[in-house]
Amino acid sequence: MGSLDSYLPIFVLFVLALAFAGLSVLASRLLAPRRPTAAKEAPYECGIVPTYEPAQRFPVRFYVVAMIYVIFDIEIVFLFPWAVVYGQLGRFGLVEIVVFAASVFFSLLYLLSTGSLDWGPVKRVRPLAGRLERTTASTVRRHGATGTGDEGSGRAA
Amino acid sequence: MTGDPLFAHGVGLAVVLIVIVKAVVAFVALLVSTMLMVWFERKVISDMQDRIGPNRAGPFGILQSLADGTKLFFKEDLLPSRAERVVFRLAPFVAVVPAFLVFAVVPVGGVVTIAHHVVELQVADPPMGILFVLVMSSIAVYATMLAGWSSGSKYPLLGAVRASAQMISYEAVIGLTVVMVILESHSLSTRAIVESQAQHFWQWNVIRLGIVPFVLFFIASTAEMNRPPFDLVEGEQELGGGFNTEYSSLRFALFYLAEFMNTITMSAVAVTLFFGGPDGPGFHVVRWLWPILWFVGKTTIFCYVQVWIRAALPRLRYDQLMDLGWKRMIPLSLGWLLIVAGVIVSVSWGFALMGALLVGAVLVWQAARLGRRRRLAGLEPVTGPGARG
Repeated sequence: MGSLDSYLPIFVLFVLALAFAGLSVLASRLLAPRRPTAAKEAPYECGIVPTYEPAQRFPVRFYVVAMIYVIFDIEIVFLFPWAVVYGQLGRFGLVEIVVFAASVFFSLLYLLSTGSLDWGPVKRVRPLAGRLERTTASTVRRHGATGTGDEGSGRAA
Repeated sequence: MTGDPLFAHGVGLAVVLIVIVKAVVAFVALLVSTMLMVWFERKVISDMQDRIGPNRAGPFGILQSLADGTKLFFKEDLLPSRAERVVFRLAPFVAVVPAFLVFAVVPVGGVVTIAHHVVELQVADPPMGILFVLVMSSIAVYATMLAGWSSGSKYPLLGAVRASAQMISYEAVIGLTVVMVILESHSLSTRAIVESQAQHFWQWNVIRLGIVPFVLFFIASTAEMNRPPFDLVEGEQELGGGFNTEYSSLRFALFYLAEFMNTITMSAVAVTLFFGGPDGPGFHVVRWLWPILWFVGKTTIFCYVQVWIRAALPRLRYDQLMDLGWKRMIPLSLGWLLIVAGVIVSVSWGFALMGALLVGAVLVWQAARLGRRRRLAGLEPVTGPGARG
């Protein structure tokens, strides 16, 4: 039994799917109108003309997530063959995997404890000017009745 | 016995014909059921929101998605001026082709004999089976990433970066829950996974593994598909339309198709892994039909639950999403994996590892608290074991 034989149906399905997508795009090219203008082709900004390029730099947190994912994914890759033969490994396999899982788990703990997996803005809770309770009166005083905010912070309204 | 019995005696003309028929049937069935799924989702949601929903095209509006698809063929296909042209054109293909392929390894029925050939009612049964599902769902990340990056526009790029971080996070959970299933079935082949759950419903993995892995898998697969409440990729309040903002006409339709196809496929995979696939009581008349009906019924229930979740739950915030993934679901799935492995060896090992899970939970909680405090302290690392921020 050739081991690649069982992928033949997947290949057939692959060809079908590719043909479907390709023919659809081709059909759309033949059927659809083509009247491009500069406004249509501009990046979508709700009608505002874009003035600068999209960001090239991202918070480092995304890269940290990618790295911890690679660590976990490598663990999972090793877990698959282990799981298949686990019936024959018995207690040895269990102890082995507990040690392995623990080592990966501690790397997760380290990242958690450095705050690398905390998202969202760092919020400093703004003290309510010595007031502990939050009432309608205190909210109105903080934001002002006109709704412009920052009452008494020195910034001109 | 691993491998497809269809190929046990070489590849002849009859075998090739059977393969082609299987692939074409799966292709058409998948396409039709995707169209029905779009209609079903819109109809169910409109019922839940006390609206009528689509009711013009065909009886009960059942042809609505066909009409929408036809309309999209006639819409102008725009290529943004700042787009990376080749990648921009490639991305919809990367989305839709894997969506078709994942379904290939899902067993939809029992085993029948056609012209002396043993035919398993699934498109393909490669020895790596369930790994193929994981491979294809990983490629879906590329589709989102490439689409967002190549658009040359702000919102798609932000959506794509979010999406890739979200999808890889939840992929780890999916991988760990799949490992638990393999621990019970001793094989990667989807057919073997289904057969190991046959006969009684208490043999189903959802019960044998103790509900938690199934819940984890279900939440993670919802997040992996970017379906609500995890659809931050296309959060329209923040990102316009997300990674596919710049797409129009048929290229957009291909993304849309892929999304709904993935919904059906992941429901089918959940049924395969945890609910015995086509397993269920049958009768002696037309014996090959009953497993298929069971499979379709179970998958439909899962599709309904997906729609229900979409109608019921508000979208998560991004930090809540990441917290759920990294601080709760991943540690829990890792711990539960060890418990499952322990119980297989002996019950006392299971209890010992359950204790370890509790200790681990406390550690995660403490570590997360420390991390939050360090961030609040102006991102200054706290030095020394006794120091408190």
